[in-house]
Amino acid sequence: MSEKVTIALLGQPNSGKSTLFNALTGLRQHVGNWPGKTVEKKEGSFTYGSKEYDVADLPGSYSLSANSDEEVITRDFIASGNADVVCILADSSQLERSLFMVADYAGITVPCFVILNMADVAAAQGKKIDAGLIAQRLGVPAILFSANDKKGYEPFYKALEQAVNKKKTLDVSSLEASYEKIEGYQKVKKLMPEDLIPGYSPMWLAAKTLENDPVVLAKLKNTLDAETVSKIDGYRKGVQGAVETGSAKFAWIDEILSGALIEKKESAALGKLDRIYTHKVWGKPAVVLTILLGLIASFIPALPLMGFGKAFGMLKEPVTAALTSAGCPDFIISIICTVFIQSLSYIFQMLGFVFGVTLVFGLLEEVGVMARVSYVFDNTMGKLGLQGKSVMPFLVSFGCTMGGAAGTRVIDNWGQKVLTIALAWAVPCGAAWAVIPMLSSLFFGPGAVLVIVVILLTMLLHMWITAKIFGRGLVKEEDRYGMIMELPPYHKPKWGALLRYVLGRTKDTFVRVTKVVLLVCAIFWLISYSFSADSVPILYRIGTAIEPVTKLFGLNWQLFVAFVASSVGKEGALGVISALFTGGNFAGAFNQAMSGGGVASNLNEILLANVTKPEALAFIFAITFNMPCVVALAATYQEIHSAKWTAKIAVYYTLTALLLAAVVYHIGLLIF
Amino acid sequence: MNELLNLLKDGHARTTLMLASELHTTPADIRRKLEFLENAGIIKRISLTAASCGGGSCSGCTGCGPGVSPGDIPGDRKGKSGCAGCIPGAELMNMGEMWEVVR
Repeated sequence: MSEKVTIALLGQPNSGKSTLFNALTGLRQHVGNWPGKTVEKKEGSFTYGSKEYDVADLPGSYSLSANSDEEVITRDFIASGNADVVCILADSSQLERSLFMVADYAGITVPCFVILNMADVAAAQGKKIDAGLIAQRLGVPAILFSANDKKGYEPFYKALEQAVNKKKTLDVSSLEASYEKIEGYQKVKKLMPEDLIPGYSPMWLAAKTLENDPVVLAKLKNTLDAETVSKIDGYRKGVQGAVETGSAKFAWIDEILSGALIEKKESAALGKLDRIYTHKVWGKPAVVLTILLGLIASFIPALPLMGFGKAFGMLKEPVTAALTSAGCPDFIISIICTVFIQSLSYIFQMLGFVFGVTLVFGLLEEVGVMARVSYVFDNTMGKLGLQGKSVMPFLVSFGCTMGGAAGTRVIDNWGQKVLTIALAWAVPCGAAWAVIPMLSSLFFGPGAVLVIVVILLTMLLHMWITAKIFGRGLVKEEDRYGMIMELPPYHKPKWGALLRYVLGRTKDTFVRVTKVVLLVCAIFWLISYSFSADSVPILYRIGTAIEPVTKLFGLNWQLFVAFVASSVGKEGALGVISALFTGGNFAGAFNQAMSGGGVASNLNEILLANVTKPEALAFIFAITFNMPCVVALAATYQEIHSAKWTAKIAVYYTLTALLLAAVVYHIGLLIF
Repeated sequence: MNELLNLLKDGHARTTLMLASELHTTPADIRRKLEFLENAGIIKRISLTAASCGGGSCSGCTGCGPGVSPGDIPGDRKGKSGCAGCIPGAELMNMGEMWEVVR
């Protein structure tokens, strides 16, 4: 062996460096760490012809900027003079981007050669690459190569020998001509010392100075006098150096590849469906329609569980009969039937909806539709401080707030997730839409349409104000961004994984929600239960005691209790006022609330006789904008994992619902 | 590249295909420039996984750490571990790539 040559393998991650290194060195390699760093250091050796070669596999990095440990290590190794020749690897299948490392190397005076690796992949893509023309333009050896093909290494060794013998560096004349057009480049270059960093030319250093490279700037500060450093700072001020030099490098790459790379150009045209989704006018309606159809479709898989929930609720009567005949006390019967059976029936029905929504929207996500939804609504959501994908929970909340809360799982940022749920609560749910039209038409006849329109406008105002109030603490300015998106291709869903996910999610929801609902139900039941025929339930005593206060909001005590009951489930509010106004058993009010509103047949007459129009308006607004239900409360906690924020949102909605009731009540007094 | 940056900074959401169309270039050209801008720290890739916790910090969070193993997180579709205490199984599927402009 006459001499020893050291070669350094340089390339971006996934350029095939490790494959090449392993193939060259075989077992003659050792792995350690670069001094003072946790970055892996791989060195080895091989023999070819009469020469022995040491190989250093430099850490993979995008470029030679000092943005990471990997890049600094690579630069230091080249500057150390240990490498006789640098082998730069580029991915042939995407030369326009992978030659960036070569462009960033331009100006380094250590001889090099270029390996256009993964030639087999490029050929399979139909790309034709003229490596000879590329080599001619680069001024150094360049070959088409496949590191995977161990029988095809001869061209590599030839290029290596050529690089070692001729010691050529990259022809940078064309690149430098582009650099010279950048403001301040020539002035900075003139001030660059020749030997600031060994192996790096003034051209390379001047470009890195304009790019605000911290290592180069520190070197300049330590080497040059203060006046010169100040001059350099002045020249690079106001210049977007990284962008300017980056543009020059890409232009140089395009010049190198012009006529040397023949490929089928990827079309920038959108597919048919994406043309609709991204259309300025039709995009939003198309997305809203898709989500609404998804919502409707989610009822189909929800039906079995909803049916099971209803069937479970039907157990109340036979269980009551069986327990009564067995001599069980009324108190125990009421706990079992009203709290446990009724609550579980309610939970199963809601769970059906969660299952359906998670399945349908999980499917839309897997297929690639949710990415389009996020894209289309980004700008609108941005005005509320949210991301585009927040629109999905809002739309789902028109059906069920719990589904909306569950839908926030697509939001990655915790603060935005909490804010989205906080705003989704303002959207009247399906249960509210069952109550609002009925009460509105009862009290206001054809004016009900106007009431509904005002409710929708109030919803938008509520969301805007809520975003302002909560947004400050939850969403930082830097959390917002103008979105750039690479839309994924549409593809078939993986049904097995999707179903496992949906079932896991449903089970998890069931466990968590059951705990909360049973607890709340038990408390509500206790305060509304008549323990003896002549005793007055706590609910009544409290209700009449607080009536002077509730009247401020336009709610008498019965309406206020119905308002409280609507926190458990909005559809139950009608059942509560029916029971309370008819003066029946107060315990029955809760039972009816949980059953979904067993409305007395004469409710219309009762309400019209006992409730004024301003009071009715106040009540409609109060229950519409009250917290949606305890299940939504549980779902909110499940999603955000913060009891503090769950409580904050619940208290906020309770108070704002009462405030809105007070406002519309007093407006109503002026109108009616 | 300056034209691309100006488009990115105007606050409107765009896809890479739209950027390519507006700048009369190819999607591959846009992608390599986005990669460059990302590496230069001018734009930032948005994480669509459970990795980004509340407040961006895991301090004081009991859900992180070696105790969390794949499958522990409810609904984790990819079987990856993450921060169970902050975001439950928020692993997104097929959402494409997203970036934000940093400066």
